[in-house]
Amino acid sequence: MKKFFAILICKLLRFAGNIIGRGSSLPGQIALKICPDILSRVKLPEYIIAVTGSNGKTSTVEMIAHILNRNGKSVAWNKEGSNQIEGVTTLVLGSSTLGGKVKKDILLIESDERFAKYTFKYIKPTHYVITNLYRDQLTRNGHPEWVYDALSDSIYPETQLILNADDPLVSLFGKDKDDVIWFGADTLSTDTKELESVYNDGAYCPNCKSPMVYTTHHYNHIGHYSCTSCGYKRHDTAYTITSVDLDNGEMTVDGKYNISLALRSLYNIYNILAAYTVASIVGIDGEKTASDMSDYVMKNGRVITFEIGSRQGTMLTSKHENSVSYDQSIRLACADKRGCDVMFIVDAVSRKYFTSDVSWLWDIDFEMLRNENVHEIILSGTYYNDLAVRFEYTDIPKDKIRIIPDIEKAYDHLKSDRQEYIYVITCFSDKGKFLALL
Amino acid sequence: MKILHLYYDIMNLYGDYANVSAFERLMKALGKDVRTDRSSFRDKADLSEYDFLYIGSGTERNQKVVMKDMQRYKEDLRDCIDKGKVMLMTGNSFEMLGSSVTDSKGNVHEGLGLFSFSTTEQNKTRQTGDAVFSMKGTDKKFVGFINKCSSISGVDKPLFDIEMGLGNTDNEKTEGIRLGNFFGTHLTGPILVKNPWFLCYIASLVTGENINPSDELLKYELAGYDVTLSELNKRIGL
Repeated sequence: MKKFFAILICKLLRFAGNIIGRGSSLPGQIALKICPDILSRVKLPEYIIAVTGSNGKTSTVEMIAHILNRNGKSVAWNKEGSNQIEGVTTLVLGSSTLGGKVKKDILLIESDERFAKYTFKYIKPTHYVITNLYRDQLTRNGHPEWVYDALSDSIYPETQLILNADDPLVSLFGKDKDDVIWFGADTLSTDTKELESVYNDGAYCPNCKSPMVYTTHHYNHIGHYSCTSCGYKRHDTAYTITSVDLDNGEMTVDGKYNISLALRSLYNIYNILAAYTVASIVGIDGEKTASDMSDYVMKNGRVITFEIGSRQGTMLTSKHENSVSYDQSIRLACADKRGCDVMFIVDAVSRKYFTSDVSWLWDIDFEMLRNENVHEIILSGTYYNDLAVRFEYTDIPKDKIRIIPDIEKAYDHLKSDRQEYIYVITCFSDKGKFLALL
Repeated sequence: MKILHLYYDIMNLYGDYANVSAFERLMKALGKDVRTDRSSFRDKADLSEYDFLYIGSGTERNQKVVMKDMQRYKEDLRDCIDKGKVMLMTGNSFEMLGSSVTDSKGNVHEGLGLFSFSTTEQNKTRQTGDAVFSMKGTDKKFVGFINKCSSISGVDKPLFDIEMGLGNTDNEKTEGIRLGNFFGTHLTGPILVKNPWFLCYIASLVTGENINPSDELLKYELAGYDVTLSELNKRIGL
């Protein structure tokens, strides 16, 4: 009876929440109060696919759902991005009958790195994708190895691991296991021999702490690595990006499927690969997946195009407190041969909690902006001083940099007759402040 | 002017390296002939050659590996402390100079034993938070961020009084350690960038000159410090 009420109330609250536009964790929270073990009392579908990692989980999940839907599979997934246990409860109960049977073919869960161990106590994924582990939100996450340990507790023997072979820390989850499904990229035209980053989280082996060497770097510590001492090295992959051409916006998977890219970033190609891997496992033909992913524009609002007067631009939502995310956005802007102006806004470091910490700015490779494609750089928001200091430690010519603390004034500055394309790089916490001015 | 950044490639979480960059830049602006050496497991640096020594913070696993390797510097470091060499260790690096670090599994790792304090780690809750400290013996406020999972007991000469943030132990209102010109604090990241007055304080100790942060060189650092302090004061309710 408790089970019935918990499901009913969750459904009603979710329905009400949808009408008034409220978040999706409250219904699940209340259902858990009524019936704490509710998640272990529902009948789940054959496939329970979970996705976690520092970056790309929301996008990867959206892509997987898109492919599955297009191929006749019904999917329950947390599109609102509420990825802690309450949000997952809302998702599961919202998709189930009042008797407690989930009515979909596939349950697809984006899971928070720190909370996966609690959620999966009740819902054990059949398949578990781990995308990457980066320095991300130190305020909550400590550091990547701390997150690694938290994630270790969320992995159960019956779960099929699907791991990014190019990330040495993620790959450690699959060490000495022979049934892992690996995805990754061959040596790509965008690769570098030497690391191009402010710091090197791949310098030492995550297994034995001896020095590691790379034959190629895709970006940051993502690449082809091997330990100089214990034999730990990148695993061969079952699903592979075999080539990429960012200039022309194309990637090839497994040597035969060409995908045209709506967003020309390395991040995007990894997300697509992870989605392709899952789709293949579920039994969807590679040809179909490639066609579904071609020119697919994300609906999650992380990339937004806009116009200011006669000028056009793109907002690249990046994550404050996550240098790899910024590096990716900067790399994308730098590759724009039309010539561009790039604006950074750091106004509130987080939308979920307070912090004044800007240490992460020092891990971002702003030096990349010393590039002929980048014409003007605009720094704005409460923490403009910290941005300005950071740029003083680069060799970017001072006359390229405009410091305009007030976001509205910075917006007015962009409203000019300059021809350059505009990139605005900022976080969820600050993007609304700019978008409201459009 | 010689600067040594020890274990630069493994004890470097969240922009710690910028402490060395900031010190180097200030020295250059003052017209000093500066050389910075970066050293790690493979080399043995002669600590006595250097005017300023820095170590940043690492993950718990990295700290254990470094602490084991660092035993070879034990006597050199003792000598540096005795002779008043200016040294800054941030994050969990200064824990290595204590008697021991007990990890979350209960294994005891031997420290360098230059101080009598000892450290105990746990793996349940990451303790993080912004910090406003005041340095003992000054009226200056220090801003920063702490990111740790350890408790350090037995520090008899702390560096800071706490106005906001985490102390050496949960119950103490003091943080870090100071002995002469040795400065240890669990603050992470580029603390010398965030606190330009402290950068100048350290620079004055190293050079023996009176260096003030009123320079055009530190304009944005000073303004950034004011913004951060004012944002944090709002949290404290000042």
